[in-house]
Amino acid sequence: MRILAVAKNTFREAVRDKVLYVLLFLAAAAIFGSKALGWISIGQDIKIVKDISLAAISVFGVLIAIFVGASLIYKEIDKRTLYIILARPIHRYEFVIGKYLGLAAVLAVVTVAMTIVAIAYILVLGGDVDAVFLEAVLLIYWQLLLITALATLLSSLASPILGAIIVFSVFVFGNATGILVDLPEQLRGTSTEWIFRLVYYVIPNLANFDIKAEAANGVPVTGAYVVWALAYGFIYTAMLLVVAAAAFQDKDV
Amino acid sequence: MEIQRVNAIVTHGLTKTYTSHIGRSGMRALDGLDLTVAENEVFGFLGRNGAGKTTTIKILCSLLHPTGGRAEIMGRDIRLREARRAIGFLPENPYFYEYLTPRETLHFYGRLSGLDTSACGREWDKLSKLLDLTEIGDQRIRGFSKGMRQRVGCAVALVGDPPVLILDEPMSGLDPLGRRMVREVILRMRDEGKTVFFSSHLLSDVEQICDRVGVLVQGKLTVSGRLNELLTRRIDRIEIIATGLTEGAAAAEFAEAFERHSEDGDHFSVTEIGAANRLVERILAKGGRLFLFNPMRESLEEYFMRQQEESR
Repeated sequence: MRILAVAKNTFREAVRDKVLYVLLFLAAAAIFGSKALGWISIGQDIKIVKDISLAAISVFGVLIAIFVGASLIYKEIDKRTLYIILARPIHRYEFVIGKYLGLAAVLAVVTVAMTIVAIAYILVLGGDVDAVFLEAVLLIYWQLLLITALATLLSSLASPILGAIIVFSVFVFGNATGILVDLPEQLRGTSTEWIFRLVYYVIPNLANFDIKAEAANGVPVTGAYVVWALAYGFIYTAMLLVVAAAAFQDKDV
Repeated sequence: MEIQRVNAIVTHGLTKTYTSHIGRSGMRALDGLDLTVAENEVFGFLGRNGAGKTTTIKILCSLLHPTGGRAEIMGRDIRLREARRAIGFLPENPYFYEYLTPRETLHFYGRLSGLDTSACGREWDKLSKLLDLTEIGDQRIRGFSKGMRQRVGCAVALVGDPPVLILDEPMSGLDPLGRRMVREVILRMRDEGKTVFFSSHLLSDVEQICDRVGVLVQGKLTVSGRLNELLTRRIDRIEIIATGLTEGAAAAEFAEAFERHSEDGDHFSVTEIGAANRLVERILAKGGRLFLFNPMRESLEEYFMRQQEESR
């Protein structure tokens, strides 16, 4: 119940913040603007609209996850709002999980809203929406949950700017982990190779959640793959949240 | 059979050293604090800025972890969540979520204290009346004055009816009306059987409402006790006013103690109780009458300053 109270309040804070609506407006603009690119590539309208819509859902979701997430706990310490909260009979992990779930709920609403806009637009343009498109949205959301967990962890340890930089780096490299092991010949055997290899194993492989190309082209993805990706995301997210709660447990505020 | 009373707040050798990230040097903010606050007592926690008052309060509320010693609230170790069930906390300059209304704020903290929605509603009904929040109950806190925020802060501290109230500088920055409001709340809570532990440097307010005070200097409790006990330790001087003495006789006969003549009579001042009694006997023997016998106690302000000086 206490976790829910914190989550509900975090959700309320986000929906009363105008920035969220600006981001949603921009996302909608990107989805509608995708038709322009469709005109350039003749006969590919729907495919391009689907591709860009999914990219917009992902990018704007990640922006919210990073910018809200990286200051999620830091802001509470900085603005001293958590003094009265932690003096209540609440476990600190309940506070961390509550904050996380509040932002996860915001992202769910944002993702659903953007998806509804995208689907409506695709249908208006005469296209159809199949299961793989919805699976792609689900995996994008799952990736947002993981990114948010990392942002939550960093928000109790680092300043929002440093946290945002780290999370953004993980997002970029996590979507292209291949480049970390697919190194040019001259780096083989050097310490750089070992560092890159270490990073490869530590950061999550976010490309696992990327089935945008399949969704745009209507190529089905097996249920087993989706389940595997969900499990992969869940384990990573849970680990990050456990570390976030542990890091906050003995912190002086 | 005598009922065993639990002390509301007890600390044993509470120590807090802030370590800097660079190097190993640390700043000792609290140095072996031993403190006992009895149940249903109003305890004033005095000290200058930086003396360690807020550090103590933050440790009691589990916001900081002590580097040494331990503390209990209503007999429960502060590391336990149960200890926090007993606390209502008002931080210095309380910070709230600006986008919430007082009603929503109270509901939120009520939920965190384990109250259900209907219990939160009842708490709002009770506390909004007590703290005069009804009219502003549905306005967002953003834009509230300091006094309004403090009223919300008091309501938040009281939600869930905790037996121990911990208030950090509750009157700081308030106008006289605001200070009176806080004072009335504190006294009312004492009447309801609660324990109030509050820090302050506004000595006049402490003097008016505290049963006991403790003075913290550089992280150490220099003195604590009942206010009148502490203050009667030192009577600065005794003021005596007598009437009926012949004009000029007072100044001539009692030159060593005479101060001035006013409409009330002749004013005398001595520093010692024996001398005061001898003076009164002589005045009466000269046909004078006693109008006022007033041992001038050191004010808390003076007492507090003396503690600071002596600790240096």
